[in-house]
Amino acid sequence: MTLVILSGLLVGILFGFALQRGRFCMNSAIRDSILLKDTTLLKSVGVAVLVSMAGFAIMAMANFIKMNPTPFFWGANLVGSFIFGIGMVLAGGCASGITYRVGEGMTGALSALIGLSAAATLTAMGFLKPIKDALQTSTKIMVGEANPTLANIFGLPPYATALAIAVIVAIIWFILARNNPDEGEVKSNASLSNRIFKKGWGWFATGIVIGLINMLAFYFSSLAGRSYPLAITSGWIGIVKVGMSVPEAKLGWDAWLVIGIIIGALIAALIAGEFKIRWPGWGMIGQTFVGGLLMGFGAVTSGGCNVTHILSGLPQLGIGSLVGAIAIVLGAWLTAYLIFVRPQSA
Amino acid sequence: MEETLTPTKTLDVCGKICPYPDMDTITTLKKMAKGEVLEVLLDYPLSVERIPRNLKKQGHKLLSVEQIDGPNHRMLIEAHGLK
Repeated sequence: MTLVILSGLLVGILFGFALQRGRFCMNSAIRDSILLKDTTLLKSVGVAVLVSMAGFAIMAMANFIKMNPTPFFWGANLVGSFIFGIGMVLAGGCASGITYRVGEGMTGALSALIGLSAAATLTAMGFLKPIKDALQTSTKIMVGEANPTLANIFGLPPYATALAIAVIVAIIWFILARNNPDEGEVKSNASLSNRIFKKGWGWFATGIVIGLINMLAFYFSSLAGRSYPLAITSGWIGIVKVGMSVPEAKLGWDAWLVIGIIIGALIAALIAGEFKIRWPGWGMIGQTFVGGLLMGFGAVTSGGCNVTHILSGLPQLGIGSLVGAIAIVLGAWLTAYLIFVRPQSA
Repeated sequence: MEETLTPTKTLDVCGKICPYPDMDTITTLKKMAKGEVLEVLLDYPLSVERIPRNLKKQGHKLLSVEQIDGPNHRMLIEAHGLK
């Protein structure tokens, strides 16, 4: 019990701190790639995924963790994650993005988070549960007794395959990056403490730190008997259940993680002088709430939000997470096109 | 001499959520004539970093970014004037 609280909360605080300093948000990462032709945050996500992929493989080889890829139910993954992608563009942040921004004082993020928690709980155990169950059970595919991964569908060794993919992608990326140097990065001559606590972090450092935190998360959550890296939505469902006094509901490792994220982001924002209660107007509060509702339904239906599927699922090579990740990107791109790009060109 | 520069127009995007500070700035700049100066007041940390790195692509020129207090910033941008 104590270990659950301490390690979940501690990893959450670290994650929240890094999210706030790195402005790490997968909604921005995915959306900006077509909206602003800005791939800075997307590169950060890529680094975090590669570090996690190599890290998990090494940790699994050393028996520190046991890989736990997400289930593959293609209908639920496609529909749920596509709806999640639509929702996060309306909400102005992914599941981790809206969680950490609450710690910055953003009321729009808080309203999205309330929507996400409500819809996620209703989908996990309320009136939306039959829709989720029907989509999941009718389209579920397994490889023997296991959830399908890029390794087991081809009969390849899981850890070596993950490590090989991570190393090969990193090498190709390094070669491409050397040939096309980044012009946007400005070298800072600020002191180290200023660069950590006052200025926003660069994309590469952010990606590395978040990948390392994801490894810590997998290790400590395994000790707590949960055995999965970072995730967001399940933690919020746990908190709602305790709030509603559902019998035998307790705050688990993932619930302490999301509480820690808000605390960590609050600490980071206060140190950097970036905390401020921000009010975006009632219209935006309504839009982010609806976005949150879609995210909550989508995440539970698909078996995970952006963090579960992209940050934690892709590194474990889960096919469900791969399909989920693609559907999140498509949902986000379509929505960004409809509400931002098309009105501009009209 | 930025102190004495008088902006042609002021845009206040404080409180707005991602990516409205960026989008409102881009839309406003598009409607401005070449050489006109837009003053943007913003408090969203990601946009304070993201607007400067993307302005060049749209041809506009960042004149200054000034921290007023805490997350509140004032940005001066010279419009490219495509219209």
